[in-house]
Amino acid sequence: MPRVANLFFAGVVCLTASMFLVAVWQSGTRANLQNTRDDRAQVAQQSGVGLQPAKDADRKPEADATKYPVIIRKPSGPPRIELGGTDPQGRTGSVACSTCHSVRKPNLENKTAATLDEFHQGMTFNHGTIACYACHNPGDSDALRLADGSTVTYENVMTLCSQCHSKQAESFAHGAHGGMNGHWDLSRGPQMKNNCIDCHDPHAPSYPKMIVGFKPKDRFNEPSIDDHDHEGAASHDEH
Amino acid sequence: MTSTEPSKNRSLPIVENFTRRAAVKGAFATLGAGAFVAAISPLRQAAKNTTAAEFMQQHYTELSPEQKADVIARLEAETKEKYGADVTIADDRPIPGTKFVYAINLSVCNGNGKCVEACHKENNHDRATNQSYIRVLEMPKGTMDMEQGSTTYSGAVPKDDKFYLPVQCQQCDEPPCVDVCPVKATWKEEDGIVVVDYNWCIGCRYCEAACPYHARRFNWKEPEVPTKEINPDQSYLSNRVRPVGVVEKCTYCLHRTRRGKLPACLEACPTGARVFGNILDKDSNIRWILENKRVYILKEELGTKPAFFYYFD
Amino acid sequence: MSSIPANETHITSYPRFIGRSLWLATEGSFGFYAWMTALTAVFLVGANAWANQVAGGMIGTNMTDQVSWGLYIANFTFMVGLAAGGVMMVIPAYLYHDRKMHDVVIIGELLAIAAIVMCLMFVMADLGRPDRFWHMVPGIGKFNWPISMLTWDVIVLNGYLILNLHICGYLLYMRFLGRKPNPVWYVPFVMLSIVWAISIHTITAFLYCGLGGRPFWNTALLAPRFLASAFVSGPAFIIVAMILIKRLTGVVGLDDPIATLTKIIRVTILINLLMVASELFTEFYTGGSHVSAAKYLFFGLHGKTALVPWTWTAIAMNIAAALLFLWPGLLSLKWRPLLVTACMMAFIGAWIEKGMGLIVPGFIPSTLHEVVEYIPSQLEWKVTVGIWAFGLMVFTIAIKTALPTLKQSSDH
Repeated sequence: MPRVANLFFAGVVCLTASMFLVAVWQSGTRANLQNTRDDRAQVAQQSGVGLQPAKDADRKPEADATKYPVIIRKPSGPPRIELGGTDPQGRTGSVACSTCHSVRKPNLENKTAATLDEFHQGMTFNHGTIACYACHNPGDSDALRLADGSTVTYENVMTLCSQCHSKQAESFAHGAHGGMNGHWDLSRGPQMKNNCIDCHDPHAPSYPKMIVGFKPKDRFNEPSIDDHDHEGAASHDEH
Repeated sequence: MTSTEPSKNRSLPIVENFTRRAAVKGAFATLGAGAFVAAISPLRQAAKNTTAAEFMQQHYTELSPEQKADVIARLEAETKEKYGADVTIADDRPIPGTKFVYAINLSVCNGNGKCVEACHKENNHDRATNQSYIRVLEMPKGTMDMEQGSTTYSGAVPKDDKFYLPVQCQQCDEPPCVDVCPVKATWKEEDGIVVVDYNWCIGCRYCEAACPYHARRFNWKEPEVPTKEINPDQSYLSNRVRPVGVVEKCTYCLHRTRRGKLPACLEACPTGARVFGNILDKDSNIRWILENKRVYILKEELGTKPAFFYYFD
Repeated sequence: MSSIPANETHITSYPRFIGRSLWLATEGSFGFYAWMTALTAVFLVGANAWANQVAGGMIGTNMTDQVSWGLYIANFTFMVGLAAGGVMMVIPAYLYHDRKMHDVVIIGELLAIAAIVMCLMFVMADLGRPDRFWHMVPGIGKFNWPISMLTWDVIVLNGYLILNLHICGYLLYMRFLGRKPNPVWYVPFVMLSIVWAISIHTITAFLYCGLGGRPFWNTALLAPRFLASAFVSGPAFIIVAMILIKRLTGVVGLDDPIATLTKIIRVTILINLLMVASELFTEFYTGGSHVSAAKYLFFGLHGKTALVPWTWTAIAMNIAAALLFLWPGLLSLKWRPLLVTACMMAFIGAWIEKGMGLIVPGFIPSTLHEVVEYIPSQLEWKVTVGIWAFGLMVFTIAIKTALPTLKQSSDH
């Protein structure tokens, strides 16, 4: 009987600890990068709550004490992969990259999803001719890798992007690339900026097409607007 | 006529039937005057909308602080009465040591029109006409000739062979619109913003004719904005609901930018094409762009010296 | 002199003169009353339309942010020309001492008064906030002089009105008193009014041609062109008016002035056509974006052709009128109906050329090269016709007041 009670107690402790861990883990996780853009945008919105101040290096060197920071939104961590199947209890779940990749030999040559026979097959890849492991880290699949082989976390993905896109990184550093919100005058309030992957899907980074929603309604401009509406409708269908 | 003329050298009254004719003439004059009063009776409606205080209001630059407070209180009450919204109308003055400059990266702008919409909402524009201070031209690549552009494009953007050119007030350093105004109802402030005193403008629209950038808008009717869509965060020279019959224009959202915030069109831009800042601050974003990008201005040949730059990268 | 009683001064006699003039001006035949009643009716329709425009906002007009000036400013510009055109009687009368013209020169001056009154009414009709007109009054308002050309225009137009009111008022008042007008009191003003007449139309042209953003207007030829067409439309109107005055009132001595004015038009209409031609050559031979407004005006742009019929009508009328004026037979008395036709064609031609042919295409395409067309709305037509009716009323009354003077002169 005491053994049963000990076992029960140990079980409760383990369960509580694992629930706690899961809760912490979930809150710090962002969705799988291979999800559709819409899903990503949604997650990006959710994670927008957890804006974190950028490191001092991102701020102007002469920033004095009265200045508010420029806050660059950061990805919240390595992606989680949604499992395709369900476990015997019918639950779906998501796993870390390392769940699979730690036991698989990395194919350093692979450049496209087309050559994969399981997982990631449907993924669109349109980012030059670089290999998967140009950015993903074969040694630590829950982190990324810089060109010199050193590890960089998913949170600091911008460092990775900036290796090749230095022009954009330079422009970004000067407010000339990427959207922003808040204040132009940092002595009056902070400024919030997007990071690279808020707008660019790392696997297909070209900016998506949009539909023009709002147009001034001018008097006497109707025939012209009609013409363009037909044109617009056609391209809308294509889209 | 000639038969009733009694004298050729002196013109004398026709004495015989003077009183009778005078009475007839008087009657007709009264009739005419009555008809005239009836004809212009719609003016009574207009007069109801114009209070004596508004009619007598002095030019913005001549108002004492007390008068200004009265005017603003009156305008807030009017907005409450007409639009049912509780608004705060501030009197934002230029921040010393600032000159606002805007830049747009045309390589990035995709013509989605979010800025147009944000302007519309931020500045309490008339909902019926989708009025906005920004117009976006869709231009074929390989030309700077606006003649080949179109403002009425729609559908999916960007189109492969097109680039997009948003145009709004360029806050010129040599503004032709300010020069032509006969009553000084529009002027350039120290931070470079060209403003309009909506309560001084007489609505002659000469500035609209003079502006080479189609930056000015006229209130052809009273703006219609639903109560819950009114942006309550207003400024006298900026986005307060405008009266009918006056000209208005982009103020770089001075009710935001003079409080250190970014303009609404910039915040709305999903592509990050827009850059705003203080050109007098040598560490500002805008200075870096002017020094490092190949920028150009619209219609440079007109000598208007815009504070609005375009660049490709 | 002797006709003023000793106890009477100008302070009492001038109001008597005004009253007497008004009395005279409202005397007339059945036809006169019918004419004035009709004009009053039309004017009231216009006044009502204007009141509605003020009450409901200018949404009732067909103007837009692209075409922000329309029929009102077009008519304003034309009326300035008509006012300036009256000077074409003053120049022969006072500079060339044409006696016959001198006797009837007051017709031109009275026309100037009526035309300027109409100008001011058209400007008022075009204001979005007519209740704030006092902002433009120097002293109590804020007058952006000398930077704004519109303030110059306010000055020269009102100055021209006052000059002509003074000249006409003085001459008629002296006639009322039975005195001989003292040249010191009016000849310097007449000379000034000659220069001033040129200035009103020059400055009105400067309103438009100083705008760099409007290539169609931005031409140095605009002011001379305005003057040339003013010197067609003004004399054309006066010729028709004089033929009517002769018919209706039996004033004689008008035939020589009519001949002089016909000869003047003969020259000015050709100068005007020459300027139009050189303008069009410059536009079309150069090509480029600069020409798009002219292209729109004459041939349509991007399939939009609203102004094309107007402008070709104007061109046809101007050329036909020019050919008629060149024909020497037009001067003879038996071809009077043809002269009236030629004058009307020249008048309408100039009206279209300045309005739908100059003010409106200046806005099309817009500064962002959008082609937004403009056809005046019914409300605009009502207000415009109403102001024309009022102007004709002023002119009729003014001529009636001056009739005794005209008759006296013709008795000499």
